[in-house]
Amino acid sequence: MSVHDFWTPFALEPFLNALIVGLSIASIWLVAALGLTIIYGTMGVINMAHGEFIMLGAYSTYVLQSYLGFPFLLCLPAAFFIVAGFGWVIEKVLIRHLYQRPLDTLLATWGVSLVLIQGVRLVFGGEPQYVGVPTWLDSAMQIGFINLAWLRVFIIVVSGLMVLLTWWILFRTVTGVRIRAVMQNKEMAASFGINANQVYSITFAYGAGVAGVAGALFGAFKSLFPDMGSGYIVEAFLVVVVGGGQLIGSVFSAGLMGEMGSVFSYFTNDTFARFVLFTLIVVFLRFRPQGLISEAMTRR
Amino acid sequence: MESQNIYHNKTAQWLSYLVVFVGLAFLPTFIDPFTLNQFSRYAVLAMLAVSVSLVWGFGGILSLGQGIAFGLAAYGMGMTMQMQFQDPESNPIPSFMLTNELSELPGLWVPFWNTEVGLLLALAVPTVFFVIFGALMFQARVAGAFVAIMTLAMLAAWYSMAYDMQPFTAGFNGISPPLPFDWLGVSFDPYSPITYWVALGLLAFVVLASKLVLQSKFGLIIQAIRDDAERVRFVGYNVAFYQVVIFAMSGFIAAIAGITWVMLTQYVSPVLLEVQFSIAMVIWAAVGGRLSLMGAMIGAFLVNGMQSYVGDAFQSTWLLIIGGLFILVVRFLPKGIAGLIETGLGYVPIGRRRSDSMSSNPARAAE
Repeated sequence: MSVHDFWTPFALEPFLNALIVGLSIASIWLVAALGLTIIYGTMGVINMAHGEFIMLGAYSTYVLQSYLGFPFLLCLPAAFFIVAGFGWVIEKVLIRHLYQRPLDTLLATWGVSLVLIQGVRLVFGGEPQYVGVPTWLDSAMQIGFINLAWLRVFIIVVSGLMVLLTWWILFRTVTGVRIRAVMQNKEMAASFGINANQVYSITFAYGAGVAGVAGALFGAFKSLFPDMGSGYIVEAFLVVVVGGGQLIGSVFSAGLMGEMGSVFSYFTNDTFARFVLFTLIVVFLRFRPQGLISEAMTRR
Repeated sequence: MESQNIYHNKTAQWLSYLVVFVGLAFLPTFIDPFTLNQFSRYAVLAMLAVSVSLVWGFGGILSLGQGIAFGLAAYGMGMTMQMQFQDPESNPIPSFMLTNELSELPGLWVPFWNTEVGLLLALAVPTVFFVIFGALMFQARVAGAFVAIMTLAMLAAWYSMAYDMQPFTAGFNGISPPLPFDWLGVSFDPYSPITYWVALGLLAFVVLASKLVLQSKFGLIIQAIRDDAERVRFVGYNVAFYQVVIFAMSGFIAAIAGITWVMLTQYVSPVLLEVQFSIAMVIWAAVGGRLSLMGAMIGAFLVNGMQSYVGDAFQSTWLLIIGGLFILVVRFLPKGIAGLIETGLGYVPIGRRRSDSMSSNPARAAE
């Protein structure tokens, strides 16, 4: 491994292509982190089982498709509701009792993730499973020198739509007003007659459901393993933390991290890029622990 | 304050440590070399649980990056042992480097020709890293879940480095030194009683030193910071300094564990830097009781013992068992097994007068 192999010189077209790939990576991280952002931003809960919610979304897509013959597009909303149901139950049974001990939610949800991984492995086996995609998603888009699989374009579009939907719910509906009120000050919101516990249930279920959609998307371009979720969890957390737990913050941080990661790995290689990116993030958080965007810091 | 509970009696605590360690020291007379090696491994893992108990239970810093110190030290030890096997004249380069097209020993590896320097580096590099990393975090007053996420990210970064730097670390395959560690004229065969005693001695050293530290004024300040960092800062203490010291101490302990681990297994691979492994350490400490060094130690022995023996029988459900156990402990037993013992001993009436001597001892009083 000499220095010349390690360091790729700059060339315009491959570099622009790296930027496009960066956009695709950013959309994947964003869609993985979206549910986490909502849960962390609203409740301050660090949900380590988030990756397993993604995995459940992928497996429910697989089951719906292989056994019940659902078309792929219908699997996305179906995965949302299935995983949201899971999240709702877990919130009721476990998370609810740990709100006073945030670090312990981190640990308890880690236990949940172990149980989910092994449970799925017992049911479906450890060997990889596959989700089929419609033929129109199977080819690659070719515009000039830019070459991108349609599936990746589709993920970019869906992640954008989900951000818009979440934004709409948070800022244009009564439920959203309640969620934001609880987010800012739980006690004050409760004294105005908002049922904070119910808001937490809904938020957690919604966050889990979004992870389910992410899983359905990821299942389409990667094979399914019971422990596939652990591959997303660290990146998803970093997106949320760098973004400051805000919806907009996560959009920016996912974009920034995806592009930086892609550009670094263009110049060096994937793993070294990862090392540099993670180290940069740690240094960034040292100087700005509140993240890129922080609204009134009433909760923390 | 439950001043009548013998659990909080300092003399009783030291006596129990004495009994446990002396008892463990006699193990080699009862069990076969294979089981002995298993127990040596548990002793190393117990050091990791103790390091977690120290930094998290007493320091209030949830570090998910203990594997960084463990892994770095393990690589340092692996390199030292590998170089003991190499010969400067006839065989100067480890064979995996040749297959990775390296024609001479990389500079990173050169200091490891010397066993003492290698050991020193294996201990110093992780500790210094923890000092720098800790200073970075705690001076910025990063706390709580953010520390957990940052240590996790750093761990993931090191994992990918160990995995990717194939010419230097042998990547996924890892380094497996062919011969046992040889130092001061002793060959530390992984299955011999000597090696077991070394591991046990290091565990005893780590536990007892930690206990002394926690009983000192420093230990009290550390626990005060855990309970309310803002107040301690207000009283005038440099909170970041204390946090960096306790964080680095836990890193140093994990580094000792890393060195001993390689001595016992003659194998290093990126698995040691996996996220799952570092979180497993937290599980052991939590199950045993994060507020008790002895508890954390017992937790490590118990969980790993179960994994070796019950795990074989219930291989497919082991993760279900450990995950479920962990959920139950966090939900219902935040103080772990040690908390149970504490409650149980609370019902034991103390006949002796020893109770007045410790009524003013808050060192072990939890929260």
